[in-house]
Amino acid sequence: MSYFFVLTLTGIAAGMIYAALALALVLIWRATRIVNFAQGAMAMATTYVALAVIQATGNYWFGFIAALAAGLIMGAIAERGIVRWVENGPPLNAVILTLGLLLILEAVVPMIWGAQIRSFPAPFSIASMEVGGTFIALSPFNVFTIAVVLLVMVALLVLFRFTGLGLSMRASAFAPEIARLLGVRVGRLLTFGWGIASVAGALAGLLVAPTLLLYPNNMDAILVYGFTAAVLGGLDSPIGALVGGLSMGLALSFIGGYLGPDLETAGALVILIAILMVRPHGLFMRTAERRV
Amino acid sequence: MVMLEVDGLSVSYGGVAALDGVSLHIPNNGITAVLGPNGAGKSTLLRAIAGLVRPRAGRVLYGGRLLTGMAPEEIVRAGVSLVPEGGGIIRELTVEENLRLAHLWRRDRDDLRKALSEVMELFPPLAARRHLPANSLSGGERQMLAVGRALMSRAELLLLDEPSLGLAPKLVSLIMRTVRDLRGERGLSVLLVEQNARSALSIADEALLLSSGRTVASRRAGELAHEEELWHAYLGY
Amino acid sequence: MLNRLWAVRPTLLRNGALGLVFGVVAAIALQVIDPFNPFLVYQLSSVMYFAIAAAGLTVLTGLNGQLSLGHGALMGIGAYTTAVVLKSHTDLNPGWVMMASTLVTAVASIIVGAAAARLRGPYLAGATLGMAIGLPGVAVRFSNVFGGDAGTTVPSLTPPDALSTIAPEVWLAWVGLIPAVITFVLLTNLVRTRYGRDFRAVREDEVASALYGIRVARTQVLAFVLSGACAGLAGSLLAYTSNLAAPGSFPLTLSLLLLAAIVIGGLGTLPGAVWGALVIVFVPDWIGSLNDAVHLPSAVRDQLPLALFGAVFVVAMLAFPHGINGGLVRLWRLRSRRRRSSVSEEAVGSV
Repeated sequence: MSYFFVLTLTGIAAGMIYAALALALVLIWRATRIVNFAQGAMAMATTYVALAVIQATGNYWFGFIAALAAGLIMGAIAERGIVRWVENGPPLNAVILTLGLLLILEAVVPMIWGAQIRSFPAPFSIASMEVGGTFIALSPFNVFTIAVVLLVMVALLVLFRFTGLGLSMRASAFAPEIARLLGVRVGRLLTFGWGIASVAGALAGLLVAPTLLLYPNNMDAILVYGFTAAVLGGLDSPIGALVGGLSMGLALSFIGGYLGPDLETAGALVILIAILMVRPHGLFMRTAERRV
Repeated sequence: MVMLEVDGLSVSYGGVAALDGVSLHIPNNGITAVLGPNGAGKSTLLRAIAGLVRPRAGRVLYGGRLLTGMAPEEIVRAGVSLVPEGGGIIRELTVEENLRLAHLWRRDRDDLRKALSEVMELFPPLAARRHLPANSLSGGERQMLAVGRALMSRAELLLLDEPSLGLAPKLVSLIMRTVRDLRGERGLSVLLVEQNARSALSIADEALLLSSGRTVASRRAGELAHEEELWHAYLGY
Repeated sequence: MLNRLWAVRPTLLRNGALGLVFGVVAAIALQVIDPFNPFLVYQLSSVMYFAIAAAGLTVLTGLNGQLSLGHGALMGIGAYTTAVVLKSHTDLNPGWVMMASTLVTAVASIIVGAAAARLRGPYLAGATLGMAIGLPGVAVRFSNVFGGDAGTTVPSLTPPDALSTIAPEVWLAWVGLIPAVITFVLLTNLVRTRYGRDFRAVREDEVASALYGIRVARTQVLAFVLSGACAGLAGSLLAYTSNLAAPGSFPLTLSLLLLAAIVIGGLGTLPGAVWGALVIVFVPDWIGSLNDAVHLPSAVRDQLPLALFGAVFVVAMLAFPHGINGGLVRLWRLRSRRRRSSVSEEAVGSV
C-alpha cells in the first residue's frame, strides 16, 4: 500500500474524531454563540467515567453508554448552572469562564483518579485489516470510528430537519426572542443543546483514547484541532464540522507524514489562515456581512 | 366580561420612563386601538404585556390571571400572542416551518394539521409559498404569515404591533378587514397598536391615545374620530 | 491635590510626570524589599513583564475589540530574538536587546495583524489559537538556530561594575521597571489620542467608523502591531528573567493566562492590566502556600492550585463581569452616589 494511501486512510479516521469535537463546538455555538473551550476537558472527564465503569463491570459498552450519558448531564448542568449567567454578556467573559471550567476539570479529574497515563480499551481490533491478501491501513476500530461519527451526524440531521424538537432548537438558535413569542421554551432547549453537544464531545473522547491514551491533558490538542476544524467549516454549520474535521485529519496526516511531525500544527495553521483569507467566515458561511 | 386588564403599568429603559402608569381594559371579543405619536410607548405597552420587558410597576391581568412576571413563552400558553413590529418572521425557516413552530407547544398533531390548513385557506399566498424560505415573501405576505402564526397558536388575545407598517393601502385594508373578520368568526380579542390611526379606528371599538408614556385620552373609537383637537395635537393631522 | 494634578496639560507631560513618580516609588520599594528574598523580586519581575504584555493586549482586545489567543507566541518571538541576539553579542546593553526584540515582534505583528484584520470574532480566535500552538513548533523544527526542544539559554543580567552593590535579582527588577513604566506612560497617552478613539470606534461599529472616514483595516493592524510590540518586549524580559527561551515556555496556557489577566483585571483599562498581572502571578503562589498550611492528600495538593485558579476565573466572571477594575469603579460610584443621596436610577455604565 502506497505511503500516500496510508496517510489518507489514517487521516480520515483521525479526521472523524476531530469532526466529532468540531460538531460539539458547532452545536454550542449555534445555540448560545459561545465557543466552549472546556469541551475537550469535558470529553476527557467523560472518558474517565467510562473507564471507571468498564473496570467495574468488565463491559466496554456499559462504559460507552455511561460516557455519553455523563456528557449529556455535564453539558446540561454546565449550561444551566454556570454558562447561563454569561450568555448575554460580553463574549470574552464566556471565553474566560469556559477556560476556568477547563482548568477545574483538568485539576479535579486527577484529584479523583490520579495523573498517570492510562490505557483505554477499544471495542474492536486496532490492527490493520487484511483485504484480499494486502494489508490496508485501516483497522476495524477505524471503521467503527468512521461509522459511529457518521451515524451521529445523520441522527442529528434527522433531528434538526424532521422533528418538532429540532425545529424548536433551530428557531431558538436563529431568533430566540421570537421563538419565545411563539411559545418555545428557549431556555430548556439551550440546555438540551449543550447536552447533546457534549454527547458528541464525549464520543470524540472515547474514540481517541485508545490511541492517544488517557491522561488529564490528552484532549488539549484535540480541542485545538477540533476548534480549527469547526472554524474552517464555519461555526454554524454541522456539515462544515464534518468537512472541516476530515480536512484537518487529512492535512495533519500529510504534513506530519511528508514534512515531519513537528510541523503538523504549524502547517495546519497555514492552511487555516489561507482558507480564512479567502472565506473569512469559513467554508460554509451562512450569515451575510454588512459591507461599506 | 373583561378579558385583559392593565393596571398602572410603568416601564423604564435605564432611567427613561417609556410607560408611566398606563391602564386599560379590553372586553371579551373587543378590538382596542392604541394610538399616538412616535415614542409614545405603544410598542412598549405590547412588549410588556407579552412579557418581553419587565415593568417597574403595575400589573397585567388576563382572564383574571396575573401575567406580569411570567416568561413570554408561558404567556403564549395562556392564550396571548404578540405579533411584533415587522412581523418577526424567522428568515432562515420556511413559511410552513414558521407556522408549525407556533403550534408546537400544543403537542397536538391533528390540531396542527387542521390549524395549518385553516391558515392556508385564509391566506392563499402563504399556501403557494409553503416550502419557500420566509424571507422570500413580500411585505404584505410577511404580515399575513405573522398573523397566521398567531392564529396557529390558537391565541384568544392578539397583540398587533403596527401591522400596516410599510404596506400599500390596499394591503392595509386587507389586513384590517382580516382582523375584524377574525374577531367575528373566532371570537378573538385584539389590542391593536397603529400609527395609521384612521385605518385602526375603522375596525376598533375602543381607542386609547398615548403620548410620552402616558394615557391622554380613552374613548369609544367612533367618538375619537371626531375630536379634531386631539387629532391635531397628537396624531399630527 | 490629586484633582489639581489631573488638570495639568499637556497629557503627555502629566502622564510622564506620574510615571516618573511611580517609577521612583517603585524603585525605592525595590530597595526596601527584603533583598534576601530573591523569589519575591523574581515574582515582581514576572508581574512587570506580564503587565506589559497585558497592557498591549488590553489595547488590542479591550479597546479595539480584536480577540487574540496567540499573544503568548508573540512573546516567544521577543524572547527568541533576545536569545539569538545575545548568542552572538553577549555583552550587548539590555536596552538595545529589548528594543531589537520589540522591533522584530512588531514587524511580525504587521503580518499577523494584516491577516487578522480580515477576521472577526471566533474566526480570529481560531487563527490566533493556531498561531499559539503552531509557532513554538517552528522553533523545534529549526533547532540549529533556535536550540530545539531544550531552547537557547540567555545569560543572566548582571549590574554594570559601577552599580555592583545591587543584587542581580534587584537589578533585573530595575531593568524590567523602566520599560514597564515607559510602556504604560506611552499607552495611557495613546488611548487619549485620535488613535485611541479610532480603536474604540472600530470596536463599537466598523461600518459607521468606515463611513466616518476611519481606515478600519489600518486601525486594526496598528492595534495589532502595538500589542505585538508590547508582547515582544515582555518576551524579552521573560527571557532575561528565566534565563531561557524554549518552546515549552510558551504553551497555549500562556496566551490564555494573558487573556484571563486582562479580563479579570478589567477589560479595556490599563490599570486593569496591572491588576491582572498581579493576580496571575501571585494567586497561584498564595494557593500553593495555602496547601502547605493545610494537610491534604498528595493528589489533591498537587492539583489544588489549578482547580482554585479555574474557580477564580469562573467566580470572577459570574460576580465581576467588568473585572476587578470595573468592580472598583462601581464601588467608587456607589460611594459617591450615596454621598449625594439622590434618587436617580441605576446607571452603571460599562468600563
